[in-house]
Amino acid sequence: MLAAIRPDSWNLPLFLHVLGAILLFGTTATIAIVGFAGRSQPTYAPMLSRIAFRTFLFGIVPAFVLMRVGAGWIVDKEFSNNEPGWVGVGFVVSEPGAILLLVMGILAWVASRRQGVGKAALTVPILAGLYLIALVVAWWAMTTKPG
Amino acid sequence: MSKYDWLLFLHMSGAFLLLGGGAVAGTLNIAALRRDRPSEIVVLFGLIRIAVAMILAGGILAFVFGLWLVADSPWNYSYGDGWVIAAIVLLLVANALGALGGRRDDRTAQLAKELAASGDAPSPELNALVRDPVSLALSYGSGLVLVALLAIMIWKPGA
Repeated sequence: MLAAIRPDSWNLPLFLHVLGAILLFGTTATIAIVGFAGRSQPTYAPMLSRIAFRTFLFGIVPAFVLMRVGAGWIVDKEFSNNEPGWVGVGFVVSEPGAILLLVMGILAWVASRRQGVGKAALTVPILAGLYLIALVVAWWAMTTKPG
Repeated sequence: MSKYDWLLFLHMSGAFLLLGGGAVAGTLNIAALRRDRPSEIVVLFGLIRIAVAMILAGGILAFVFGLWLVADSPWNYSYGDGWVIAAIVLLLVANALGALGGRRDDRTAQLAKELAASGDAPSPELNALVRDPVSLALSYGSGLVLVALLAIMIWKPGA
């Protein structure tokens, strides 16, 4: 069960928001996994760094858009004037988080151009790990609704 | 925070691991489809094992805490509700499809390992196994069933 009983008109935006958030989690985890694997298996670092960048481009970007559009839609329906604090936690993760994702994407591009070696290749999975922690905080706030 | 809030958080964590793990496996599988060298396919199939661990852990969390939520729900949900039964059936179907696809992928990974150890030359047999339509249908079918399961959790038809 993802939420309590709610009006039917809220279900589609909630579904899109949750699906986007889950895909964002999965694609970010993929970048963390291939990024760290590239450090431990340098022979395959060029291939793994290309996979990380493609995952950013074709996975993280559309998943983020889906999550964020769904979030805006459901917030409009549920709290048109007065947003509670736990909604703010979600926006703190999504807005500054978008900048972190953008930096990660640029570094993933640099790392793929440099065959998966160098500081950019090391930084990408670390940023992905940080973003995964932020996502866990966001889904904790979205489910437990503190305050 | 109430006990119900914590149960919901743990249930949702299971859902994120289950479906997120599916996204990891799907992404790495798509990457493997674009490779020919057996050693590269070995690496990618090896990383898919991390996704499988996420899927298994997530499935258990989502199932256990989902049943607990039904019992503790303030909205009089019951194990006999159609949407609860449908969710359990879909979870079992997704598991069965994923396990069948995974078993076929294990054979592909084994062949890739053997080829990698004996020259690492691309092989038409390995390429055919990586792109086997039955394996792909089973694995991606499992993912689609999980998305349908998520929809049932949101809409709760009949609740």
